[in-house]
Order: sequence, then C-alpha cells, then structure tokens
Amino acid sequence: MDAVITFQGVSFTYRGNWLQRISALKRVDLDVPAGSAFGFLGANGAGKSTSIKLLTGLLHGHCGRVALFGSELAGSDADRRLRARLGYLPEHPFFYDNLRVDEYLAYLARLSGLSAGGITAACERVYQLLDLGDLRRRMLRSFSKGMRQRFGLAQAIIHQPDLLVLDEPFSGLDPLWRARFREVMALERGRGATLFFSSHILSDVEDLCDRYAVIDHGSVLEQGRIADLLGQAPMILTGSGPAPAGAADAGGGEWRLPFPEGEREARLAALPPGARILRLERQKVALEDWFVARIRATHGAGVKLGDMSHG
Amino acid sequence: MADPALPGAATLIRVVAGSTFREAVRSRTFLGLLIIFAVCVGLSRIVGWVSSTDGNIVTTDLVMSLQAIIGVLVAVATGTALVQSEITNKTLYTVISRPIARWQFVVGKYLGLAAGLALGQAAMLAIGLAYLAATGAEVHRWLLLAGLLTLVEVLVMAAVSLCWTALSSPLLAAVLGLATWFCGHAVTSLPELIHHLKGWQLVVAAGLASLVPNLGQFAYRNQAVYQLPLGWADLAQRLGYGALWIALLVTLTVVVFRRKHL
Repeated sequence: MDAVITFQGVSFTYRGNWLQRISALKRVDLDVPAGSAFGFLGANGAGKSTSIKLLTGLLHGHCGRVALFGSELAGSDADRRLRARLGYLPEHPFFYDNLRVDEYLAYLARLSGLSAGGITAACERVYQLLDLGDLRRRMLRSFSKGMRQRFGLAQAIIHQPDLLVLDEPFSGLDPLWRARFREVMALERGRGATLFFSSHILSDVEDLCDRYAVIDHGSVLEQGRIADLLGQAPMILTGSGPAPAGAADAGGGEWRLPFPEGEREARLAALPPGARILRLERQKVALEDWFVARIRATHGAGVKLGDMSHG
Repeated sequence: MADPALPGAATLIRVVAGSTFREAVRSRTFLGLLIIFAVCVGLSRIVGWVSSTDGNIVTTDLVMSLQAIIGVLVAVATGTALVQSEITNKTLYTVISRPIARWQFVVGKYLGLAAGLALGQAAMLAIGLAYLAATGAEVHRWLLLAGLLTLVEVLVMAAVSLCWTALSSPLLAAVLGLATWFCGHAVTSLPELIHHLKGWQLVVAAGLASLVPNLGQFAYRNQAVYQLPLGWADLAQRLGYGALWIALLVTLTVVVFRRKHL
C-alpha cells in the first residue's frame, strides 16, 4: 500500500524565550498506508499536535521529510493541491461566532474548491450525517461544545477528502454522538478515505483503527498493526480442581494459569492430578492499559502485552 | 477522490473577504459604535448652541471629527484583532489547512475588514449629514469628499494596526497603532518644526517622518466645513498616497505572517 502520510527523520523545534529552544519532534519516522485507520497515541505534550500541524501547514521550518500522498510538503504554493485532499478537525475547534452554519460550511467548502452547485449537495450530505439540518440557520456562537464538535467534523468531511486528520475527535461528545462519529468515520473510510487521528479515548482507537503509532517526548516509540499488538497478549489456561504452582485464584473454585507459547508442554505436565481444564483463551488487555504501561516504560525496550501483570 | 480544481487567488481572496465582512458587520461592537456615534452627534448640537461662533459650523465640524475619531478607534480595535484573534482563538486552523496561501488569507481578511469599515463610515456619514440637514446646517459636496478622505485615513489605520499586530501582541499593537495616529498627524506640521534644521539633522528628521504615514493628507474635514475647494488632482494624489501606504503595510504583514508558527 502507498503511504498517504510519510515522516522521515522529522525534527521540529519551537522557539522559547530568548535563545531557548524547545524540541517538539526528534527524528520522527512514520508511515500511514492509504486506506488505513491510523491511531496516533501519546500523552499531552508528546508531539501529536505538532506533527498534525506540520501536516496541515500550520507549522513549517522542520528538518527531515514530510510527505502527503507521496509528495513532499515544500512550504510553497505547490502544497495547496495536496492540502485540497485533506480534511482537518482541530482539537477543541473554535469557529467565527457571527456566521451561520450554512454560511460557514459554504465558506470552507468554497475554499476547498467545491463549485456553487457542489456546495449545496455537499452541505445536504453532512447535514444528514451529523443532524445539522435543523441548525443550519443558527449562529455558531449559540453552539454547545458537542455541537461545535459535530460542526467541526462536518467541515472536515464536506469536500470528501482523501485523508481525514482528526485531533481528539471524540472530545466533548456524549456516548450517543461518539457512536455516531464512529459510524461517520466508518462511512468515510468505506468511501476510501484514510483516517489519521489522535485520541485519548483509547477504546475508540481500538474499535476504529487497524494501525497505530505511539509518540512520547517527540519520538515515535513504536508503530504497527493493532491486531499484531493485541495478538501479543498471552494465552491463559483456566481450570478447576487442584491448582498448579503459579496459578492465580479466579474465584468460584477456578484458577488461571499463564500459558506461554514455549512452555505449554511443561505446564501441562505440571498440572496436579484431578485438575480439570475448562478453557484456553487469549488474555483480554485493553489498549489503554498497554498504552499506560508503554509510556511508563519511557524509552525502554518495548513493553509487550505479555509483560503486563494484570489479568 | 480526484484532484479538485483549485480556485484561483482572486476567488479565494473574495471568499475570505466576504466571510470577514459578514462577521464584522454582525458583531455587536460594530452596531454599538454606530449607536455611540449617533448619540454623540445628537449631543454635538449642545456644543453648537454654547459656541460663540456660528453654531452650524461648529456642529458640522464636530460631526465630521466624530466620524474620524470613532472610525479610527474601530479601525485600531478591529485591525489589531483581525489576524491575532484568529490565532488566539484558533479559528484559522480550519482555514489555513485548506488550499489557500497565507498571503491570500491576510489580503482577504484586510479587504473584508475594509469593506466593513467602509460600510460603517458610510452609515456614520449618512447619519451625520441627515442630522445636519435636519438641524438646518448646510450640507454640501465638500463634506462628502471629507468623508471619503476620512475613510481612507481609517483604512490606512486598519492596515497600520494589522501590521503592528503581526509584529507584537494585540495590546501593544493597539497602543502603537494609536501612537502612529498621533505621529501621523504631527508629521503634517513637521516642515514648520524642522525648518531651522540643517545637514544630517534635517536628513534624520525627514527620514524618521517618512516612516509614518502623513495622516494630515486625509484631514480635509476642517477645510470642508468652510467649503474650501479640493481639486481633483489633489484628491487623486491623496487617494493614491493612502493606497500606497495600505499596500506597503499589508505586504509587510504578509511577509511576517508567512513565517509565523500557528
């Protein structure tokens, strides 16, 4: 698959006070394949937003190579054609207070290159997707946080971009709207768009994404497939009767024993007489738990799900 | 999706300007200042009554000066907020991430604001002239020319404030904007002040004076009250002078804004 987003050895430094320099990104390498849903994970200040701002043209002056759709962003007018294929929802989006929903959407759609006829159809589409039809004549100053987020997603997808960059898209949404956002994102992906988003709600990343990267203190710690990551979770043998050495009490007369790939025969042989095997299954580990453990082991050798102590 | 056909620079600037104009004229500040102007115009008659000279002349002078003062205050306030508030409020994130160059954004924002300021100036002039007509003062074409030149002064001040805000914080930009306004009017009397200077002192004084727009070029209102004529060539020269300063200041803003981290 071709990469839609490529970072090669990208470093970026902010100017602090006087001669102070703040290094926000340190030789970041990242590849986001076309058609994927890519979760960009990191704690506050890890470098997620800086990376996104480099992609969207809000920051420039980086070292290394940032490419969109295979073409390097050069900070020139040539980037416009690449940015026309991108939809962006910023974190905590703010909008002009004194414009109506329909005016604002038409304004941004026009900037993205839609014709007058195309704008009407595009607006109707996002009104339906995000239930904004009844609000189209409302000024944005009267919107709640959740409504602003809905409008934010609407403006990001109005021109049906090939790449959707979403910074904390679920922020401020109630459970119903989180579910709707997931549906809309699935629809966008079904249309062929690539999703690239950062989120603190890792269960959403787990549900939506097939690939991930973890960034911490400006460096990408690791990246890969979510399925591979979750597939690293250890197998657990659950049984009843006499418990073998190393087993944990699971309640109700049951015990649980880690069952690693290379030690299966030895573990089976060590089962005491009368022990009864009930089931063998992969341990359920939430991405969130893994993420916390991964960040805590900052810059250490990668933490595998099998290394995690909880069951 | 296939590559969309990108709109041209003129279209993008027009779209940004249109949105900025709508946003500006719907703001409460805009309506509030028009109301303040109307109230002040009403009160100006009192000054006319107590004046020892022709009351109508004094009232006309006050109305034209109020239009300039309130116009400049609005220009400084909105000019300093124009781009900086977009950065602070992050409203430009969803705009700049689209296929629009930063210079197109700045020029579009300025033109939208200029259109809003022009509407405000036209409304103030209309209110002022209607009041003067209603109170028996003479309304003549020279007042319209004075109103036009005041509008140019206001547009120059909006560009000054926009430029200062690209170089400093909004508060400092507002202070520097007002300081520029005072200096710009003081420059008019410069020839009288520096006629005794010679050599390098004269060069330095003249050089410093050239760094600020000579706003006296647009202060025709006092002459207009007495119906002192203004030739077409003189008018064209003043309009051209204002346009040059606006172009220079907006270009400077673009140069700074292009390098800004958002």
